[in-house]
Amino acid sequence: MNRLDGLPTCRIDSSRKIEFSWQNRRFTGVAGDTVATALYAGGVRIFSRSLKYHRPRGLYSLDGESSNTCVGIDGIPNVSAENTVLKEGMQVRAQNVMGTPRLDLMGFLDKLDWAMPAGFYYRTMHRPAAVWPIALKQVRKMAGLGKISPDFQMPGRFDEIYPTADVCVIGGGPAGLSAALAAAGTGLRVIVMESRPWLGGFFDFRVCEYRPGLPLYERAAELAAQVEKAANIQVFKNTAMVGAYSNNLITAFQKGEADDPFDERYIEVRAKSVVVATGCMERPLLFENNERPGVMQAACAHRLAHTYGLVAGQKAVFSIGHDLGIEAAIDLFDLGLEVSCVADIRKEGQDRELVEKLAERGIDFLPGWTAVDCSGKTVKSARLCNLDTYVQEQFECDLLVASAGMTPVTGPLCLAQAKMAYDAHTGYFLPRQLPARVHACGRLLGLNDAAAIEVSGQVAGYSATLDCGVSVEEGLRQAREKLDSLAGPAKGCDLVMAPVKGRKAFICFDEDTTVKNIKQTLAMGFDATELIKRFSAAGTGPAQGAIPGHNLALFVARYHGRSSAITQPTTVRDPLVPVHIATYAGAYHDMCKRTPMHDAQKTAGGIMQRIGVWKRARYFSSDTACTAEIENVRNNVGMLDATTLGKFRIWGPDAVKALQRVYISDMSKIREGRIKYSAMCNEDGCIIDDGVVVKRGENDYYFTTSTARAGQTVEWFRYHSRYDNWDFNMVNLTDAYGVINLAGPNARKVLEKLTEADITNSAFAYGGFCEFKIKNTIPVRAMRLGFVGELSFELHVPSSYMQSLWAMLEEAGRPFNIQPFGLEAQNVLRMEKGHLIIGSESEQRTTLNDVGLSFLWDRSKSKAGTVGAVALMHTEKQEGRLKLVGFKMDNAQRAPRDGSIVVDQNVCGHVCIARYSTTLKEVIGMALVKDHLAGEGAQLDIYEDECNGQLMHAHVVKMPFYDVKGERLSM
Amino acid sequence: MEPITRRSPVVFDRPVKNKHIRDNWEIVLEYDNEGPGPHLVDLSHRSRWDIQDNQLDGYRPFQISIPQAPGQCMFKGGLLINRMNRTQASIWHLAGDTPDVPADPAYTDTTDGTVFLALFGKNGFAIAQKLSALDFLEPSSRAPFLLQGPFAHVPCQIVVMEKTAESAGILLTCSRGYARDMVHAILDAGRQFGLLPAGEAAFSNWIEKL
Repeated sequence: MNRLDGLPTCRIDSSRKIEFSWQNRRFTGVAGDTVATALYAGGVRIFSRSLKYHRPRGLYSLDGESSNTCVGIDGIPNVSAENTVLKEGMQVRAQNVMGTPRLDLMGFLDKLDWAMPAGFYYRTMHRPAAVWPIALKQVRKMAGLGKISPDFQMPGRFDEIYPTADVCVIGGGPAGLSAALAAAGTGLRVIVMESRPWLGGFFDFRVCEYRPGLPLYERAAELAAQVEKAANIQVFKNTAMVGAYSNNLITAFQKGEADDPFDERYIEVRAKSVVVATGCMERPLLFENNERPGVMQAACAHRLAHTYGLVAGQKAVFSIGHDLGIEAAIDLFDLGLEVSCVADIRKEGQDRELVEKLAERGIDFLPGWTAVDCSGKTVKSARLCNLDTYVQEQFECDLLVASAGMTPVTGPLCLAQAKMAYDAHTGYFLPRQLPARVHACGRLLGLNDAAAIEVSGQVAGYSATLDCGVSVEEGLRQAREKLDSLAGPAKGCDLVMAPVKGRKAFICFDEDTTVKNIKQTLAMGFDATELIKRFSAAGTGPAQGAIPGHNLALFVARYHGRSSAITQPTTVRDPLVPVHIATYAGAYHDMCKRTPMHDAQKTAGGIMQRIGVWKRARYFSSDTACTAEIENVRNNVGMLDATTLGKFRIWGPDAVKALQRVYISDMSKIREGRIKYSAMCNEDGCIIDDGVVVKRGENDYYFTTSTARAGQTVEWFRYHSRYDNWDFNMVNLTDAYGVINLAGPNARKVLEKLTEADITNSAFAYGGFCEFKIKNTIPVRAMRLGFVGELSFELHVPSSYMQSLWAMLEEAGRPFNIQPFGLEAQNVLRMEKGHLIIGSESEQRTTLNDVGLSFLWDRSKSKAGTVGAVALMHTEKQEGRLKLVGFKMDNAQRAPRDGSIVVDQNVCGHVCIARYSTTLKEVIGMALVKDHLAGEGAQLDIYEDECNGQLMHAHVVKMPFYDVKGERLSM
Repeated sequence: MEPITRRSPVVFDRPVKNKHIRDNWEIVLEYDNEGPGPHLVDLSHRSRWDIQDNQLDGYRPFQISIPQAPGQCMFKGGLLINRMNRTQASIWHLAGDTPDVPADPAYTDTTDGTVFLALFGKNGFAIAQKLSALDFLEPSSRAPFLLQGPFAHVPCQIVVMEKTAESAGILLTCSRGYARDMVHAILDAGRQFGLLPAGEAAFSNWIEKL
């Protein structure tokens, strides 16, 4: 198809050809084309087949208002060809087609519409019951558009940006640009988002005059130039707003152009004030076969010519309900389109000048007429009908330009929780109550006059400026006065449907919902629009109800004979337009923490896994039972990186009071040089954390928490002392100190080689704390602990020294064959010793007493002043609670999976951990079970996933399993 | 036995042109081909303290008054003091000799607790706005000022040191463990603007001009 060269409004460059393929055939487009316009220029009229009936679908709009032109591009399904800029080498394929787009083997379904009434899958194929599972598979196979492999890797470069602004303007048309200029003129920072690749909105492609000698497109260019020149206006083109959230958080996504470093990027703006200037779209005219390829909206045909240099057909019939339709007919006639006639739904109210121009060109004008049907796989003829006499007339044509009127694009306002109401004068749903710091302007308020549109933008811009605390009352007053003096909203067309039965009149293109389907839904008693939407699926497709949106509500009101004033469009939800999940993910920086010994452990063969926010060494070999690691700790010496433990300093005159409040033990008796092990409970007495506390000076303490609780600990202390006005201070030192747990019978021999401090058992006994230096340089806070059940030194060292210390320990321990051990080995070692990990051997309902740590609870402390103590008192003797027990499996070789359930006639608990103990040569574990199963010797029947009813058996035993007398800790 | 060294959590994958040892820290002064900027500099070896007390206004760390309002900063004598809240401020050593650790219990050495980065040069804020929704260009805030919030989704303390049309400069600290991913995120965001790692010398030159 030849392009109209030389039009000043054109956005294409015919001299730059772009090769692409369609259905494996080579096509050529030009720079500036979308995929849709390039295909249209190449003679493609059928882009896809519809969801349910496999009806041929073609170009209807140019802004992706329906799934008609959803195609597969480079393997990605459901891409809107209308919104996708053509790129070299693109491989484009039709969707939902078996055969070719023109000859689809599933096209026969269109004849079976009688068998698929609204909600047919809710009502048919359910009896006998055995039929439904088979039918379900078939329905699912047929449903949905596009196919994608589960392991599909999304190609492309994705990014994200969080610009800040005082005012965010959604819509880069004349109203939005005027609003931006008004706000930016006061010095505020403004962001403009425009979904098209250029600014100007509906001025951009129109050649009629803004004022004598200045056509609208030149006015659009003027405004755009001013905006782009303003240093304090940031313009995002190709950017579709997709979400609005509380406190004016606006989300959008932007498609990258050739020289952008991204293909798509996610945008998030927190603005002080928001201006919505999204204009209008055309409200589809409902008539039989209203979605045939060759039927398109007036603005689509108009923009095809003026923006892309394409005359949409040879011979056209116009059936419209607004002056822009007449303007389009005149323009297109002047560009070479043969126009058989212009049927206008309105009997009167047209712009007389436009009507005269039709007459001058010899174009028949038919006021009070509308299209009622068209024929052909692509349009061959159109049938028009007089709305008074119902006289019908047939016209040969290959293009039927049809729309019922305009309707505002209210999606962004609805997301912002604006209250909408039907306005009988304009026939629009207009904002009647806007949320604070949200403003609307331009055509979506019903304005048609160019000057009024701009001034309404200024009013909105000044109003937004006021929201930001800038005084512009006088400017706002003047703009309002000026707006009042200009033309107000024009009378709109209120016809919803042509006089047809509606069997093939589609109210929703995406879901193949006809007017007949809506009538069926209504007849079944669904009278609310929201229910009708769900039952008939109208408006649930990818275009989010852009096509059926306002028509559905208006049709339902008319059907009931109610006033449209009481009806509401269905709820609009984010994202307003389809967005790739990859775009939401943006640059996807997986932010996790690494310990100072991360690389050293990897070098030593550590298999690192993400556990919470940290990456940690789980194993040091492919043996997931960690036999060698465990044996080395039991018989020799090992090193564990325990840096992830929470570490805190608390000090100040009331530090002890704060410790007393959150810890269950008596923290007032911590002796210098000794560690105090204790636990924290929540208000329900449920254990949430454990750790040790040491005293480092007068009112100055250092304590540890579990890894998982490190992030919440300061807030936990502050929350539980919020009414006390206590004077204490806290610093989170979790990352400041690395921790190495040097454990095993040879641990002391290794450490002795690095320090002159006396670390003999008499000077530094189990439960002790001391501070010394390694090689007179590295300061160490050392604790004699025994989590893994062996002689252990927990060494807390400034993080920057950790790699040096790790290397020194490796060297000092080489004669003893020192080896690192990972989390899994630690898990088995501590289990053998009967030590628990909060969260592994406890759960949300488990109290301190339930897990056997009641000895930590100092009952002499004030119960009301200790978090969880009152609940502990009340639940201490409560029957039916889960209790932590140790068990041995009857089968010494096979451990049940963690989380397997313990059963009798009911679920009685679950296995917290079970492992083969290398040390004991049998399978041991811990379980939380109901108290009647907690006695020593009780049998536990364990049900494991996929065990086919073969229960595993274990018996409750006393803990610890290993070193009952604790002699190895005190070596 | 290998010499005892203090290591930064940041390692830039660039050839080092010039480095030296200071207080057991191995510090890169300059990398090969640092380019015209913008630059990202690792300052994790620079001393940092937390000062916390109920009567914070009574303190004058290193003879410098602590700013009154949260968010305000004071840069004097190579030290930057950032008021965080009613009872807390952070102190960052940026230039000159490393001062002695204050003896008062109100101070906690946090040097090893955080990674400390400087991002400065042309398009610095364009890079920053790809990683954070914080308002670095708030017109009413005069540099230096403190922001506390997420940067690359990680809680950070960020001080805007320079805010001009030509150049931007921010200092950033976050938990040390995030260092590698934070640096990766910043360099990735800055690739389109030519962001490159630079040594301490580039930072010293920049801070001297402020």
